Amino acid sequence: MQQVVENYWMFGAVCLVIALVLLRLLFRERITLQGSMSYLAFLVFLGLMAAFPNVTQKISMKLGFTLMSNFFFCAAIAALAVLHLRALVTLSKVHTRSIVLTQELAILQEKLERLERQQAQPLRAAQGN
Amino acid sequence: MRVLVIIPAYNEEHALPALLGELRALPNLDAQVTPVVIDDGSTDATAKVAEEHGARVLRMCKNLGIGGAVQSGIRLAFREGFDFAAQIDGDGQHPPGELAKLMGAAGDADLVVGYRDKGPTTLLRRIGSWWLRVVLRVTTGVKCNDPTSGFRLYGPRALALFDSEYPYDYPEPEALAIARARGLRVNEVLVTMRERQGGQSSIAGFAAAYYVFKVTIAVALAYVRARLKPRD
Ligand SMILES: Nc1nc2c(ncn2[C@@H]2O[C@H](COP(=O)(O)OP(=O)(O)O)[C@@H](O)[C@H]2O)c(=O)[nH]1
Ligand SMILES: [Mg+2]
Repeated sequence: MQQVVENYWMFGAVCLVIALVLLRLLFRERITLQGSMSYLAFLVFLGLMAAFPNVTQKISMKLGFTLMSNFFFCAAIAALAVLHLRALVTLSKVHTRSIVLTQELAILQEKLERLERQQAQPLRAAQGN
Repeated sequence: MRVLVIIPAYNEEHALPALLGELRALPNLDAQVTPVVIDDGSTDATAKVAEEHGARVLRMCKNLGIGGAVQSGIRLAFREGFDFAAQIDGDGQHPPGELAKLMGAAGDADLVVGYRDKGPTTLLRRIGSWWLRVVLRVTTGVKCNDPTSGFRLYGPRALALFDSEYPYDYPEPEALAIARARGLRVNEVLVTMRERQGGQSSIAGFAAAYYVFKVTIAVALAYVRARLKPRD
């Protein structure tokens, strides 16, 4: 069966658009550079795959894909899964940290208020005399 | 002996005065009882009312849910060297007088759970409750009539453990699994509980079925995690 070599510029274009949106978010400081580096790297990688379909075709056949588009889907899904899982890890960490911080804040606040009350009491007594 | 009574409360300004009054007037308990109300981001005057009735108050600046709220009380107890901490609901369903029963079982247990005679009323809830008991029994070996009961007593070992790790998702059953995985002794005693005065339970209807599904996974995971973690 003959393999059809198609152009995958559409795929590359989609990667480009996503990259642009990402950059826009970066410029507007909606996301941090550190958190989005891996995203950019994946986009560049997928974009390159689309830009050089001949190389991609060889790799995809080596890996046993009869249709190159399936290889694209597979790569994109894997990339997105990795990115999403990383985001989940970060989110969970931030969530746990915010719980601990809230607890610490409450404990310190209560302690501070108690100390202030203790200090105010002898003062009030002295003023009363 | 000093006992910190942790009272998680979310919008409980109406129930707290009576509850705190009862706690103050506990007769048959030879311990120094310190109530601390955990105001978990209430929108009513919970914190103010609690303070006016002589309780210490930890104010969460945002709602943490019951797990995070209770753990802040446990952290307080652990740091200030309390001998025990008790946990009782702020809605008044757990009669403070029953604390003595929990204390009575504390001798040979690190974590004591108060359960009630009468089980859940609806069929769906009864099935869920049965399943939860089976799951806990099979995965962790804990025999417990009501793993979701929030009427509890924590001994020194439980305070040390839960100060460093306490579950936030489904804290009551998960905490049992963690305690068990870390070799703590879990015990339960029969207590009487009051009917809810008003309002609605936080778990109801078909949400209960999904709850049971999630709890099953959470309990198993909590146990495995706690087993895998290196002990110190
Ligand atoms: N910390 C905290 N406590 C809560 C929250 N929601 C309810 N509670 C408290 O948890 C206790 C039990 O709640 P309830 O709805 O009566 O549950 P049930 O008795 O198991 O049906 C009460 O003291 C509530 O005030 C919350 O979001 N955070
Ligand atoms: Mg209740």
